[in-house]
Amino acid sequence: MYILSDNIISPLGYTTAQNFKAVAAGRSALERRERDDLSPEPYVAARFSEAQWGELAIEGLSHFEALAVRSVVDAISTTGIDIAGPDVVFILSTTKANIENLRTGCEPDDCFAPNMAAKRIAKHLGFATQPLVVCNACISGVAALITAHRLIADGAYKYAVVCGADVLSRFTLSGFQSLKALSAQECRPFDIERIGLNLGEAAATMVLTAEPTEFSIVKGAICNDAFHISSPSKSGEGAFLALKAIGADKVRDRLAFINAHGTATMYNDQMEAVALERAGLNDVPTNALKGFFGHTMGAAGILETIISVRALEESTVLATRGYEETGTSVSLNLSPENRPSHNEAFVKMISGFGGGNAAILVTKSEARLEERMSEEDFTTEPTHNIVINSQRATLDGQQFRTTATGKSLLVDLYKTFIADYPKFYKMDPLCRLGFVASELLLRAAASTVDAIILFNHSSSTVADRNYWATVSNHDDSFPSPAHFVYTLPNIVTGEIAMRNNIHGETAFYIINEHDSSIKESILHSFAHASAATSFLTGWIDYPDDETFVAQLSVIRKSNKETTNIL
Amino acid sequence: MKELILQLKNNIIQVLNLEDLTPADIDNDAPLFGEGLGLDSIDALELIVMMEKEYGIKLKNPAEGKEIFKSINVMAQYISDHRTK
Repeated sequence: MYILSDNIISPLGYTTAQNFKAVAAGRSALERRERDDLSPEPYVAARFSEAQWGELAIEGLSHFEALAVRSVVDAISTTGIDIAGPDVVFILSTTKANIENLRTGCEPDDCFAPNMAAKRIAKHLGFATQPLVVCNACISGVAALITAHRLIADGAYKYAVVCGADVLSRFTLSGFQSLKALSAQECRPFDIERIGLNLGEAAATMVLTAEPTEFSIVKGAICNDAFHISSPSKSGEGAFLALKAIGADKVRDRLAFINAHGTATMYNDQMEAVALERAGLNDVPTNALKGFFGHTMGAAGILETIISVRALEESTVLATRGYEETGTSVSLNLSPENRPSHNEAFVKMISGFGGGNAAILVTKSEARLEERMSEEDFTTEPTHNIVINSQRATLDGQQFRTTATGKSLLVDLYKTFIADYPKFYKMDPLCRLGFVASELLLRAAASTVDAIILFNHSSSTVADRNYWATVSNHDDSFPSPAHFVYTLPNIVTGEIAMRNNIHGETAFYIINEHDSSIKESILHSFAHASAATSFLTGWIDYPDDETFVAQLSVIRKSNKETTNIL
Repeated sequence: MKELILQLKNNIIQVLNLEDLTPADIDNDAPLFGEGLGLDSIDALELIVMMEKEYGIKLKNPAEGKEIFKSINVMAQYISDHRTK
């Protein structure tokens, strides 16, 4: 799919050109802050100044929403597309959206939920179609580009406006502090002295289209580690599989560079180095941009892809700021300086909580690395389904015998029918619901699945509130890492992948409860593009202990031709 | 010490959601990590929070936890030597 236009708003500037210029000149947005309203201890982050917020703010919108709106407005300003058209989809990539509202309080109760923010942003901008939120932890940005790519390739829309955004909050900062993942120094991706990441705030937007332009996203893939919900696989399993799936090894000689995730945590960078070696790509020039922007969470995958496209255009491999000496067991081709390259493609890698890893291959369109999607016709069919709500659990129309209700129903189902996975008790309510439902469903199907694609409306609202309760009291604040790791809805896909050893795609989308058409489009475009022949999908929402519901199915895909022969 | 050990076990069961276990199920000398209770890196971080919240002990470096969380006995000894509340 082709890149029509883009924008980046970060503390380094309000356009892609300003941001690229700053990075090419070695300027960084990272700044040390002493203890302030966001943190009781010193930290380094890329934050907008008060003066910048003065320029960026929009009356009636939160900081997060204003940032996204301004980024989209700039990105579409030169395209001439009518965003009120029925053929334009708005995809928002974020991890925590307006989570800051939990602190300041607002109406209604769920005003911090990503879905509410997406609706307000879409309305302000004038989109006519329903917005879609990709909430896949740190890989959200690249996952959103992959979703957009497929929706256009499948003919569901002509244009996709894909915006990634996140702002810094006490919620996110305290969470990463509780995981001991932050460095109080400027981060040093892949370096021997690296001790952790820095967070950053930014918005980045990319408009994709089916009409040829200068640059294109050829292919993308998402693969799960099935290892741990917050630690990356030591063998780099998911990242390696994603690199293989996009055929990165086959085009290694055409690659100008690989833009790694490179958060500068011990584990992430080591994992990426191992994955790159396994894919035979450790000699390809590699860089990481976190030393300039920090880890911009929901924006990262889009922001770093846009900067990389510009670098490709300028025949430059950008420096890895903060890197000096190899700090991974496999040595990569990194440099603290900008380097020239006249090759015509790059790979963007990214990994995150929930075990997700994503990679995309981006190229100058003249390089003709384009892959055509299969024209083969296929059918999808649900083979088994389960419905669990606070009153009952029903598998393929048969109700389970249990007298428990509410959250006790889930514990009762676990004890009666599963009982061999004590980690169940550590899970947040959304994961408990997904775990129990998937266990009973996959048992009925008597086989595993290749991928997991789930939808809901309330994101991880219960886990968000539970975690916030451990932070909110300033004098008695003990941020709980065990609660924080569940404050993303895609963690449930990671729990199911881990339990069942599923290394295929895991994805979580936040949509309107009653909008089944976007759900159908996502599933159809996934089935069209993916090699998966079976997947677990459906609605799983846990707003509270009374109204939770899971409606999940196992879907089998078969090619029509094959069916005829049989 | 006996009292501290029992209280510590109850705290661990509670903060790590080890619902199927009772204090009697946890061996005082057995390693907490690795085999045994099936704890992971998040549990180790949660124990660091518990040390601060319940006993006023602040571990600067999470790697220190490795030594301290060796077993219930080692942990209880460390707490009784360093507690500030």
